Amino acid sequence: MSLHIPRVLTTAIVSFALTQPALAHEQAGVAGGLVSGLLHPVTGIDHLIAMVAVGIWGAQLGAPAIWILPITFPLVMAVGGVLGVLHVPLPVPEVMIAVSAVILGLAVAARLRLPFPAAASVVAVFAIFHGHAHGAELPRAANALAYGVGFVTATGLLHLFGIAIGALTRWPAGERIIQGLGAGIAGIGCYFLAQGLGAVA
Amino acid sequence: MRLKSVRGLMAVAALLTGTNAAEAHIVAARLGDFYMGASHPLTDLQDVVLWIATGVLAGTLGASKGRWLIPVFPLGLLVGLALGPVFGAVSAQLANATMMLAIGMLLAAAVQVPTIVLCAIAFAVAVTRGAANGAELGPETDRLLFGAGLGCVGYGAITLTMALTAAFRRTTGSVTSWRAIAVRALGGWIAAIGLMMASLVLAS
Repeated sequence: MSLHIPRVLTTAIVSFALTQPALAHEQAGVAGGLVSGLLHPVTGIDHLIAMVAVGIWGAQLGAPAIWILPITFPLVMAVGGVLGVLHVPLPVPEVMIAVSAVILGLAVAARLRLPFPAAASVVAVFAIFHGHAHGAELPRAANALAYGVGFVTATGLLHLFGIAIGALTRWPAGERIIQGLGAGIAGIGCYFLAQGLGAVA
Repeated sequence: MRLKSVRGLMAVAALLTGTNAAEAHIVAARLGDFYMGASHPLTDLQDVVLWIATGVLAGTLGASKGRWLIPVFPLGLLVGLALGPVFGAVSAQLANATMMLAIGMLLAAAVQVPTIVLCAIAFAVAVTRGAANGAELGPETDRLLFGAGLGCVGYGAITLTMALTAAFRRTTGSVTSWRAIAVRALGGWIAAIGLMMASLVLAS
């Protein structure tokens, strides 16, 4: 019996390790739109770390942030996505995305306890910039609905991942790990910020 | 023992002589259109998202309100199928996106929608989706069989989604239990998908 679980695990690991990337043709159609939407939020490191940081910060802040966040964040981000699709210009979007990673990372590292409306406003502003970037870079060939489904699902799952990491705050050692993660996120954000400002080639 | 084997032989002979050619090709039996109607909506993401959204909304409101959808939703699909040629493809896409946004917002805000409004929303969803499913039919398709298949799958999908949501939520008590939050978060996601889709339709 005890051998069964390691066998199943080994099979699962091997099957994951042997998978090949799906080469969608020009990201066209439903499958292309879905793949493109799912991958877009996870392929940009600056986006990815900021999304995870939002989830961790929400978990640190506790109720009501921890449950309002997953409900409203994708929606606010979609508002930014609409602005991006309609090509409404926002000031220095790449710099703002890097700034969001720095500030959210610092908030996690410092366990910053802002009042809920203030925290929600900060996150909402960043969400609009992140959504704008996704909307502006949307491949035209993709199926609109499929892209939306993939994009929202990937973003939501990144938050849930962040909230799951944030659950470590229940233990003192876990809290330290999370603060370390926050500092790391802020550090990576600084790199992207420097890149955005032209300091790093 | 011998009697048994004789009986067995007789049974086999009777079975073999009584066989008819198996008509496996249901298309030839004109039942193919029924299965086409039943499978067509499951291959379209707009149907899948909107039907699930409607079923989840009804499920969160409880069985007493949701059960009205069991006749209303398939009926709406049939009405939409009959009215198909009236609707245009572009306006249907925008209407679908708007309905996704509206239903998602209602779910996210955990609004206690009155039964009549719930029925009106479900009917509107069903009519537009029925029309969209009927829009691609050729003249050779038997619309009656297609409609029967569509109605059956609509009944099954809406009832199953409602039942699963009601069972998942368990109680209608706290709106901040993790189960209620999970359903509301799903609503937020559906609303975001609708918003993205609406903007993409408008931009294209």
